[in-house]
Amino acid sequence: MALAIRRSTSDIFCAAKWFIRRDCRVLSTLPEKAEVEVATVTKKEKHIRTRGSRNSALENRFVYPEFLPDPNPNWRNSLREKLERADMLKRRNQIDIPEFYVGSILAVTVADQHSQGKTNKFVGICIERKGCGLRAEFTLRNVVDHQGIEVRYDLYDPTIQIIQVLRLEKRLDEKLFYLRDALPEYSTFPFDMDPEILPEGTPVPLNPVQVKLKPRPWLERWERQDLKGVSNIEEHLKEKDRVRRELRATPWEKYDLMKQYRQTIPIEDQNDIWAEVNSQLQQLHMTRKKMSRKRTFSTPKTQLG
Amino acid sequence: MLKSVVSKLISAQQTCGFHTTACLNEVRLLTRLRVVDNSEIGKRAMAEGKPPKVICVYNKTRVGYIGDRVLVAIKGQKKKGILVGLKQTQKVKVPKFDSNNVVLIDDNGTPLGNRIHVPIPTILRTILKEKTHSKGADYTKLLAIATRFV
Amino acid sequence: MNQAEVSKLVSKLRIKVPPKHRKLPNPKGPEGRLDKLRKTVTGLIKYERIELNYNRADEARQYAERLISEAIRHGDCHKPTMDTANFWLLEKELVHKLFKVLVPRFENSSVAYTKLYNAPKPQYARVLDKAVLELKGNPYPELGNKQTNNKYFIQNILLDAAKHEYRQAKYAEVANKIGQAGNETSPVNTENAEKLNEKPMSS
Repeated sequence: MALAIRRSTSDIFCAAKWFIRRDCRVLSTLPEKAEVEVATVTKKEKHIRTRGSRNSALENRFVYPEFLPDPNPNWRNSLREKLERADMLKRRNQIDIPEFYVGSILAVTVADQHSQGKTNKFVGICIERKGCGLRAEFTLRNVVDHQGIEVRYDLYDPTIQIIQVLRLEKRLDEKLFYLRDALPEYSTFPFDMDPEILPEGTPVPLNPVQVKLKPRPWLERWERQDLKGVSNIEEHLKEKDRVRRELRATPWEKYDLMKQYRQTIPIEDQNDIWAEVNSQLQQLHMTRKKMSRKRTFSTPKTQLG
Repeated sequence: MLKSVVSKLISAQQTCGFHTTACLNEVRLLTRLRVVDNSEIGKRAMAEGKPPKVICVYNKTRVGYIGDRVLVAIKGQKKKGILVGLKQTQKVKVPKFDSNNVVLIDDNGTPLGNRIHVPIPTILRTILKEKTHSKGADYTKLLAIATRFV
Repeated sequence: MNQAEVSKLVSKLRIKVPPKHRKLPNPKGPEGRLDKLRKTVTGLIKYERIELNYNRADEARQYAERLISEAIRHGDCHKPTMDTANFWLLEKELVHKLFKVLVPRFENSSVAYTKLYNAPKPQYARVLDKAVLELKGNPYPELGNKQTNNKYFIQNILLDAAKHEYRQAKYAEVANKIGQAGNETSPVNTENAEKLNEKPMSS
């Protein structure tokens, strides 16, 4: 009983304290600060939440890597980057630039003043993607009449009429320059290839093919580049090459945190960029989808008629 | 003094004293070319494994670019040819080939063979037409024997 | 014009990052440079405050910041982060310190995790610039001198000189008065002395 009374009295005391504090809040400055802290905490929570929701936007970096600026701070210019992004979106409104990766097979039709039909079509495997902003480039490689040919295109070139992805896939490596030294069948693609349509929602397939290299001499020292897409590199090596490879190896480079940092755009900066362009990119993607559906519906009708 | 110089030299050797960037693959004096037409002399030279060498590039820089006229030494003879495909890095939309290709011509610009068995860059059309205007020789005959353009 | 690397995501550092790294010349090349920096970063995590040459301190600071931000971002269950921590911290008990002490300490921080001070060096001496590098929230007393009542501050020296002058003038006045009137001035004299003993407030 006595305990209960004590408790109740202490409760009352606490409540009184609380009231007093609450009244004091208006007068003193300290509680205001506390409120500010609370507000910041809620902001942080919100920030984390938005991060979670923006994860889908962050995935854009694989599909549209050219929207990210150059990581070298000497070449950064926020205004230029912003204008370039706007121009890129405008160009994407005009022409369908599809999702593709190094290793995908593309067909590119350009307006060519030198050719007879005023257009020129080239089919090949994408061996490299580089550059950022409006200067983004990709290189196609093909073997035509036993002659290896590579053509470099600007992604946002206004003379490009159609970019069509014939086979959407990735390869094991980021750059496929070793196809220059590989047997020609690995980079031979017919010009009348039919596009392969992936069912919607499937992830981009990884092609685990390992190419065979021609015997030496090679254009580059492929053995030092840690390539996963080459099967017979050890056959062509001498003891000397293996020793040199060991000497030239840089196993510490994957721990060089600042080197990695200087090659990437930090997540905070990326969030700003994707927040700027994501909605328009999504909208474009949806409209393209609708258009392609319409086309698939319209073609059988013409056949029937 | 001598010691310091020697140590510097040794360290330079260890850290690779000369530059090792990829070569430019320019067509210059004594570059080996690949004959891509079916002229008799060209076919035999390629079959014997003695591809022609550049003796002279007919322009001011003496570095051959696409469509330039070259003088080649082939099977002990001097022949003229036109570069129709280069290994060197090209401008955007101009194809880059895996070998330096040449088509043999005579002094009037008439090709020695009657067929080219590799693709020809379309930009050659414009280049050769321009060159024909300035010179007396007619190089556009080369385009007529091409089988394929890229 | 390079394309940014997209396979890795990093959080932004809160310090200024120069566009190029310092080479920290070393006969072993880049490997030796990283070895040097590993020692420094280990020392920083271990002692929380170290004094060293400025160039090396600035370089090591970037690596330490990156290490802590990676640890905060991925936690201790992430294999590559654990490998990186294992590489950078030469003493293995410091890996535990990184994940169990430093990560909770800096988790909610919105500023940089380290602080770099320019350390004094002898005047006209041909020595390299020195710096003090410390982790924030360390147990040592603060380095920045915030005491305003240091007697060597120029304001305090000037004030002291002014006080001294005033006192001398007063003494001279009192002495004159004593000389003029012999016996009656004694109480006034004591009052003046009391006044003089009160120190004027230093600003």
